[in-house]
Amino acid sequence: MWLPRFSTDRLKRKDASLSEGAPLVVAGRAGNALHVQALDVRAHRLGLYKGQPLANARAMVQALTIIPADDRHDLKLLEQIAEWCDRFTPYVAADPPDGLILDITGAAHLFGGEAAMLTHVTQKIEAQGFTVQAAMAGTASAARALAKFAPGHIAAPGAQAEALARLPVAALGVEDKIIAALRRAGLKNIGQVAQRQRGELAARFGKSFVTALEILLGQHDQPVSPRRPLPDLMAEQRFAEPIVAEGAIAASLLALAQSLSSVLEQRGLGLRRLGASFFRADGQVRRLDLKLGGASRDAARLMRLLHEKLDALADPLDAGFGFDVIRLEAMLTERTEAAITSFDSNENAKREIQYLADRLSVRHGEARVLRFVAQDTHIPEAQSAAIPAQARDFASQSQWSPRRQAGDPPLRPLRLFEKPEEVSAIAAVPDGPPLRFRWRRAPFEVMHAEGPERIAMEWWENQKPTRDYFRVETREGQRFWLYRDGLYDQSGLAPRWYMHGVFA
Amino acid sequence: MSYIELAVTTNYSFLRGGSHPQEYSERAWTLGYPAIGIADRNSLAGVVRAYSGLDQIEEKEGGAPRLLVGARLVFRDGTPDILVYPKDRAAYGRLCQLLSLGKLRAPKGECFLDLADLLAHREGLLFIVMPSKQPENLTSLLKSLGSDTWLAAVMPHRGEDRRRMAALSRMANAARVPLIAVNDVLYHDAERRQLQDIVTCIREHVTLAEAGTRLQVNAERHLKPAAEMARLFRNYPQAVAETLRFAALVTFDLGKLKQNYPHEPVPPGKTADGHLRDLTETGLCVRYPNGVPNKVRVLAEKELRFIADGGIAHYFLTVHDIVAFARSEKILCQGRGSAANSAVCYALDITAIDPNVFDVLFERFLNAERREPPDIDVDFEHERREEVIQYIYKRYGYRRAALTATVICYRSRSAIREVGKVFGLTEDVTGKLADTVWGHHGDGLSESQVRQAGSDPANDVVARARHFAGELAGFPRHLSQHVGGFVLTEDYLDSIVPIGPAAMADRYFIEWDKDDLDTLRIMKVDVLALGMLTCVRKAFHMIDTYSGAPPLELATVPQEDPLVYNMLCKADAIGVFQVESRAQMSMLPRLRPEKFYDLVIEVAIVRPGPIQGNMVKPYLKRRKQYLADRNTVFDYPKPAPPHDPDELKYVLHKTLGVPLFQEQAMKLAMVAAAFTPTQANGLRRAMATFRNVGTIHSYEQPFVDGMVGRGYDPTFAQDCFEQIKGFGSYGFPESHAASFSLLVYVSAWIKKHHPAAFAAALLNSQPMGFYAPAEIVRDAREHDVPVLHPDAAFSDWDSTLERDAQGVLCLRLGLRQIDGLALKDGEAVMTMRGDGYADFADFARRTQLGRRALVTLAEADAFRGFGLDRREGLWAVRRLPDDKPLPLFEQRSAPDQGAEDIAPLPQMPLSEHVLADYRTIRLSLKAYPTQFLRPGFDAEGFTPCARVGDLKDGSFVRCAGVVLVRQRPGEGKAIFITLSDETGICNVVIWERLFENFRKEVMGARLLLAEGRMQKSPEGVVHLMASSLTDRSADLRLLSGEILAPVAGHRHPRNVRILPPSRDFH
Repeated sequence: MWLPRFSTDRLKRKDASLSEGAPLVVAGRAGNALHVQALDVRAHRLGLYKGQPLANARAMVQALTIIPADDRHDLKLLEQIAEWCDRFTPYVAADPPDGLILDITGAAHLFGGEAAMLTHVTQKIEAQGFTVQAAMAGTASAARALAKFAPGHIAAPGAQAEALARLPVAALGVEDKIIAALRRAGLKNIGQVAQRQRGELAARFGKSFVTALEILLGQHDQPVSPRRPLPDLMAEQRFAEPIVAEGAIAASLLALAQSLSSVLEQRGLGLRRLGASFFRADGQVRRLDLKLGGASRDAARLMRLLHEKLDALADPLDAGFGFDVIRLEAMLTERTEAAITSFDSNENAKREIQYLADRLSVRHGEARVLRFVAQDTHIPEAQSAAIPAQARDFASQSQWSPRRQAGDPPLRPLRLFEKPEEVSAIAAVPDGPPLRFRWRRAPFEVMHAEGPERIAMEWWENQKPTRDYFRVETREGQRFWLYRDGLYDQSGLAPRWYMHGVFA
Repeated sequence: MSYIELAVTTNYSFLRGGSHPQEYSERAWTLGYPAIGIADRNSLAGVVRAYSGLDQIEEKEGGAPRLLVGARLVFRDGTPDILVYPKDRAAYGRLCQLLSLGKLRAPKGECFLDLADLLAHREGLLFIVMPSKQPENLTSLLKSLGSDTWLAAVMPHRGEDRRRMAALSRMANAARVPLIAVNDVLYHDAERRQLQDIVTCIREHVTLAEAGTRLQVNAERHLKPAAEMARLFRNYPQAVAETLRFAALVTFDLGKLKQNYPHEPVPPGKTADGHLRDLTETGLCVRYPNGVPNKVRVLAEKELRFIADGGIAHYFLTVHDIVAFARSEKILCQGRGSAANSAVCYALDITAIDPNVFDVLFERFLNAERREPPDIDVDFEHERREEVIQYIYKRYGYRRAALTATVICYRSRSAIREVGKVFGLTEDVTGKLADTVWGHHGDGLSESQVRQAGSDPANDVVARARHFAGELAGFPRHLSQHVGGFVLTEDYLDSIVPIGPAAMADRYFIEWDKDDLDTLRIMKVDVLALGMLTCVRKAFHMIDTYSGAPPLELATVPQEDPLVYNMLCKADAIGVFQVESRAQMSMLPRLRPEKFYDLVIEVAIVRPGPIQGNMVKPYLKRRKQYLADRNTVFDYPKPAPPHDPDELKYVLHKTLGVPLFQEQAMKLAMVAAAFTPTQANGLRRAMATFRNVGTIHSYEQPFVDGMVGRGYDPTFAQDCFEQIKGFGSYGFPESHAASFSLLVYVSAWIKKHHPAAFAAALLNSQPMGFYAPAEIVRDAREHDVPVLHPDAAFSDWDSTLERDAQGVLCLRLGLRQIDGLALKDGEAVMTMRGDGYADFADFARRTQLGRRALVTLAEADAFRGFGLDRREGLWAVRRLPDDKPLPLFEQRSAPDQGAEDIAPLPQMPLSEHVLADYRTIRLSLKAYPTQFLRPGFDAEGFTPCARVGDLKDGSFVRCAGVVLVRQRPGEGKAIFITLSDETGICNVVIWERLFENFRKEVMGARLLLAEGRMQKSPEGVVHLMASSLTDRSADLRLLSGEILAPVAGHRHPRNVRILPPSRDFH
């Protein structure tokens, strides 16, 4: 099955309003340019095409709805459809980016024959809001070619080569270079290619081309690839008697974690993602997915996280009649150093924080456990940003604020107000420090001041005025960070003053 | 209170400074600075601009700040930046040498300096040490630099300024050096901070959003008024006062820079002037074997006297030497330029313009008051110019000869690309925007251009990008070597200006460009390349080979051949030098040249100057009268007595009373308005810089008054001045036009009498001229030259002439026509050929060509000589092993590839062959692409190109064809498009205002449908005045034969290059 409008159909299912109004185009990035990655039938009719530079498309059609490509969501949905298709046959494979392969051996009679099944399946998919082209053939690659270039065709056993013969060479599904070469030689359909001697073709395009051709023509078999990605490593335990007791499950998990850990140790790998699958005797499967902030293979730690996850589940693990298989899968691993506790206490503390972040994230969700990172900007309130604590590469390039030399006073306050508070102040023009000011209704008298530190706002973002910051010390010894919003000569009005932070 | 800024970074510190040097000059004047110091990053590239900026202020206002020339040295060894200012000329030379040293040891565009280098060149230099943001202890550095050292103090508004100042002050005291106030300026006005941020982003390859602290924290780094500096440094008034004391120590003045010309060897006992006089005398005797005409003798005498007064004999001897070298090597060359405009240059064989026939006007630089440097440009064959350059290097050495620089500036196109990127626009968007810019034109993007590119002009980001792209346009981006401007000196050149390496190995260029040299009156020789000279030599060589006649030379081509003029009158001029452009071709039948001087006028008249000055129509009117009756007497306005009533006639009679040449404009000023030579020269310079400065208006009153005072009609006087104004810098000097006309005549003569050799020479000299090979070949075939496809079995790299069985001379296209074929592969085909290849297998074995080259040849259908057509050739090539076999297996591999018995491949339809020909050799001898579309075109009622002229004047016509050339003359109001189909070509004109509506079609279409009225002049010049254009490029896909294949999974035909893009001229 080929879903030629897969990406746009997905978007339209989500947001029906996209079906009206401007033609819909999905834009993908290739190198440093955007191009049309998918388009709906209206855009297609206007002459836009897949792979067209987006700017060209925009020049051709002024009114376009353009949505950035989201390959991850596309793939996820394709997987879901594949899963959903298991009602037709248990052997379903997603054929990214926009195809599905169903092995219907022995299934067609349930639907009243092949033709009826083809109609039934396409109707069902269409009813879900997808444009679909489907075909049947003895091999996956032949069916794929027919679905794209001769939808609806059912290649009878033995008649596959004949069915394919009239398809253009593009249907061979080989490199563009080879297709171009075949066309240049005047071989424009598969039939013409098939007639050539195999040796003649092998000499020019290599043995693998001949193999691909033979697979297509049904002279070779090719397995359908399984749906779920295979784990890097896994450990599983099968039980003769399904287990129900919590203790038994926990013991099993620990044993599995330890064996996984030892294999990881041997290979010098650490875990970044861990999958746990619980297969119930009645056929239901429960899968858990855990992410780790830093690679680890510490069995105790993995167990802690697993328990944390199990405790936090909204719908608790229901053993029903018991699990007959429990499996741990290392979904993502990376090379790590041997787990030796460092003598550097800083290093250890960092690791402890990492563990804590993992546990909190597992319990509360990744998006809820954040940490601050320094941002490279002059704007004081933008100098830190919060990101998920588990996110990788949080070590930012930039330093926290201007670095001080020994003995210098701090340039930035310890507490920065999220929203600067307006104060009324008296100061010398044009750039003198405040002499007296009122903040939160209390008067302050400035004894010492340093400044101005002149910080201009990011002009491409907004037209906010330049600020003159002063560090001041009041008669009572409090130290504040104030700024004048705007320079004297920039506007006729007297600039306002703000309190932006408090030094310790 | 006075202040002088000494730390100024201009935009010649590329992508660091945010203002032009001239902007600093002007701001320094308005701020009342007594002087300003320019100190760019390891460079002196911007100082001359600042100098000329101040010079202009001086001229206009009668006073200006003084320029202090300096540089900011940035070291590679961690030393903080140091501003250096030379006190005197000798120290300036050392600074130049220091910078040259740093540049020569670094790759192009960089400069590697260590503190030790500075210490070695320290004599006479003043130092200002610039502490970094977090000043370290500089005491020992300050001490090591010695007495002429200052420590810079900046008020950056960083919060801790006071503490910082205190620390600096302690350091300065400890080292016993004074503090000096600077503002470390990056732009002349605070408003420029935004542009400075943008150039910082361009430099750092980041967007504004990513730039963060790489940008300046505030907008303080501009030129500040003295009072403001005094206020900022109120606790350190001495630091401000130091700037004046500092400036007083600098006595060096850039204007006093003197160059000494190389001392050409002069025979013992003679002076340079005497030697030049002797050479001139000998030359004149050779030129005029029947006696030197009096006019020439007087002229030469006057020139020699002037040359002696100016002390520039060496310059002429230098050029003479270079030209003599070229002649001895049989390299064709020809001189032009202001000083070439002379009897002396004619005598020295530098030019071929007979001063007896032409008015050579030495006054162009004959100006005693303010000496311009003499200027001679010499054109050489473009393929052999390198030999001349090498000769110059060999003769003068690398320290005495270097190329001038060319300042590569941001243009609208590059600016929008870079600025767009900074604003986060993706490359496809910026690319589209850039593509709407035509060549170098445009002062920024218009809103309609933005819309054309598919962007919304109201979009904030796009609008900003557009705005700043406009500001950035004109900023220097980097220095590059000028194509051939040489500066030669007797002393070391690197004590006049820093010299650095060019991108090319063993090539060096100075930091100043041609305008800078003009400003400082430093002389240069332009060693230029001219494709037509190469073409002429190649044609001569071919003709000599087959004709058996005595070898041809520029001077021995039969003169004033009426057949040649007849051909030109019919506008049959494709490939002919200069007159092959669209505008020239439409002028030829109107002007009807019949002698050499007519060609000179033809060359000069189709220029923006005469066109804007409204001189074309009056001239053509008179020319028509003259052609109708050769005895027509034209009226010339007369001055009042006692002035000579015929004075204007003398000036203008050769051009029938219409001033067409720059010389005439100046003579008009001198004769009719009684300008002094100085005034006239000023006028000429004002004309040349009309667009930039607008000083020409100051000459208007004296000019009109002068003429009226001598009794001319005021309206006439005003008209004359309007014409001169219209001239702008676009007028041609007569001698220049004459030099070019000689090549016009010679190339036309070859085309007329030896069309096959002419076409072959043109093809072998590509890229040059207006027309692509396809048109040259087509033109040759129309002149009955049989043309043969490039063929691996017969072709050389170059196109050649061969005789067919009947003995007819044929043009065999060379392998160089094949796109993507490397020269070395082409040469392998030639050298291994011997007595010919037996068959394809033999060819592949002997040439040992790589797979890629063989595929390229096969796709170009170049194996027909082996009996393989395009498809069979490709099929055969694909079978060969991928790479060259190892030598050991060479013999063994041959039998492995035994004969193959295979079925024939399907026949390739002709239309596909034609397309494939275009794809590979950009032309087809088999058919024309439009031929296959003709039935459809007929059905739609399109007129074939060649038939457009048969219609009635003014009739409505629709004509479709392949776009050959798009041309938009400099300031023209119209765009010319040449369409071609299987019948011929059609000239389409679209007015500027309509062009805006059809920009996309004009810029993008390969196959274009033009609809509009046909316009035919009485001389038979036909134009289609388009009212509508349609892009029909998609029709070309009908030819590929793949239209029947299903659409899915195919590349869109627009992605396939079917026809080569057109050639565009601006």
